[in-house]
Amino acid sequence: MDTILASLPYLLEPSILIAAMIGVTWGILGGAMPGISPSITMALLLPFTYTMEPTAAIVLLASTYIGAEYGGSVPAILIRTPGTNAAAATVLDGYEMNKQGKAGLALGISLYSGFIGSMIGLALLMLLSKPLAGVALAFTPPAYFALGILGLSVIATLSGDSLVKGLIAALLGLMVATVGTDPVTGSNRFTFGSSDLLGGIEPVMIMVGLFAMSELLAQASKRDDINKIRSRPKIEFPGRHLAKRLIRPQLLGAGIGSFEGVMPGAGGTIASFMSYNEARRWSSKPDEFGKGSPEGIAAPETANNAVAETALVPLLSFGIPGSNSTAILLGGFLIHGLQPGPMLFQRSADVISGLYAGLFVAIVGMVVMGLAMLPICIWMVNRPRPYLNAFILALILSGIYSIHGSLFDVGIMLTAGLVGFFMRILRFPFLPTVLGLVLGYLVESNFRRSLVLSGDDYTVFTNDWISLGLLTVAALFIAGSIIKRAAAAWRRDERAAFSEGSEG
Amino acid sequence: MITRDAVGGLAAIGLGACYLYFASQMRASSLADSFGPQGMPLVYGWLMLGLGVVLVLQWLVATSRSSSETRQAAHADAWRGQGRKILRAGGLFGLAAAYLPIVQTLGYLPSMALLTFAVALYLGAPLTWRPVAIGIGGAIVLWLIFVQLLGVPMPRGILSAFGL
Repeated sequence: MDTILASLPYLLEPSILIAAMIGVTWGILGGAMPGISPSITMALLLPFTYTMEPTAAIVLLASTYIGAEYGGSVPAILIRTPGTNAAAATVLDGYEMNKQGKAGLALGISLYSGFIGSMIGLALLMLLSKPLAGVALAFTPPAYFALGILGLSVIATLSGDSLVKGLIAALLGLMVATVGTDPVTGSNRFTFGSSDLLGGIEPVMIMVGLFAMSELLAQASKRDDINKIRSRPKIEFPGRHLAKRLIRPQLLGAGIGSFEGVMPGAGGTIASFMSYNEARRWSSKPDEFGKGSPEGIAAPETANNAVAETALVPLLSFGIPGSNSTAILLGGFLIHGLQPGPMLFQRSADVISGLYAGLFVAIVGMVVMGLAMLPICIWMVNRPRPYLNAFILALILSGIYSIHGSLFDVGIMLTAGLVGFFMRILRFPFLPTVLGLVLGYLVESNFRRSLVLSGDDYTVFTNDWISLGLLTVAALFIAGSIIKRAAAAWRRDERAAFSEGSEG
Repeated sequence: MITRDAVGGLAAIGLGACYLYFASQMRASSLADSFGPQGMPLVYGWLMLGLGVVLVLQWLVATSRSSSETRQAAHADAWRGQGRKILRAGGLFGLAAAYLPIVQTLGYLPSMALLTFAVALYLGAPLTWRPVAIGIGGAIVLWLIFVQLLGVPMPRGILSAFGL
């Protein structure tokens, strides 16, 4: 209740209202563009947030995430091409409804379910974040070091097919984090005499390069045409009877989405497909799934929108970004000198209250802008890619330059883009690199401070109960992931042996 | 059969070795703690090197277990069209990199118009009035946003006399 009361005054703050509406509008547009993920949509905005007031800047980025989750369903339903990965499950029944001439209703179900999922997600975010961060005052340097290790342990689940590749990607981020002034002695490291590198490399340059610039390079290398939207549907919300039928899949979607959002590394795509499967399992009309079932849209759309809010729980409480989008949001916090984690609720409670209010405005704004923006989304999706990508490149170059008025920064971003492009080709994941980059300083500085304070006694990390607990959880996280991978590899080997044998 | 894993592993070994070399060149200050400013970099460097070796070893084991036909098919499949893709991406990267020296000479507005026009053409837009209009229009929109609205002092060049 206190959390709600603290957030109420921010609902009348013009900067919060404007940031939320701009963010959700930008998010819907970005999400609707196939190939432009929520994280890229957010990364494009990052440079603009430098000049903004911190709360409005965070609201802008978080609202973009919410808008993008709905925006992704627009091309999924209209051209069978999901605008975001999380909207892939919506294609199954959304496009079928479109073929049956019910595109407006499909979009209405998506928007309505997104609203429900977001509201439930926001309620859980407000309920869970503060208690989880309540242990803040007990945190010591060893505990902060252990928190960083716990954050890095998420890499075990984010590494895709190869854990080794995920670890290499994380080390790349950790290496970049060592550039600049040493956190304990103040001596220069890897600056090669350049004054531009003395302050280190800011995560925003690397994030924009890895996510947005490398995507442009990847799209330039493909040059394939995308489908155009021919129809001009109008959004139609479900009637009372249909809304009643959608309650069960929406509750399933909200439950699964909230759980997956709180778990670092799970994400909206897994939540969408899981809730789609569960909705089919529990439906009274399972045969309709895949043939244009409204429930097949309601469940995944509720789930991926619930994820957009609950994914902020580990970020706000522990400073651990569990997805690309929350990593970009973490970048937004860092730009303004705010370190998400246990102390954020103590030192910057106003930012948190403003964020909650901004998210509420963004969710309501999503419905309003979702209705208003549909024709613009259709127009944008139909624009020729060469012009759109040329403009995005110009926007990225201008945005990065505007941060410090430095062409050196632009060079760093371009280099990160090139590295990201080759990481895509060699199939290295990005998120571990971002995690290494943003957690590198936290891990190193607190590790060394702990040793200085304890007189080089390494047991300081096991004597502190919070540190011990976090390190144990990290170890369990890594062990669980390795066991899961080993079991999956063993099953694959068995299948491979059988198929080779049968072919032979 | 050189796979993506092999290339990734070799790149990690190269990067780890270079990073280790520079980390080992750091001088420890008399004020340094026992771990020192070079402590973490040395750990990261060795880990990168080690993981690169693991990736290469994984590739060698996988190669030795597969038949030569499978290897050839996998090789062809893994790298088909990649050279062309890299060249195309390299072209866009070159245009973006060329913007850096050009913007210092021409200034923000003309170089942004030039960049947008050139990139649109490079990405496949036909040479008509549209890429020209979008180049000029896009540059003006960005100039209005960044210079006029946000007050960012963008690089000034040949048009500085006109206040642009």
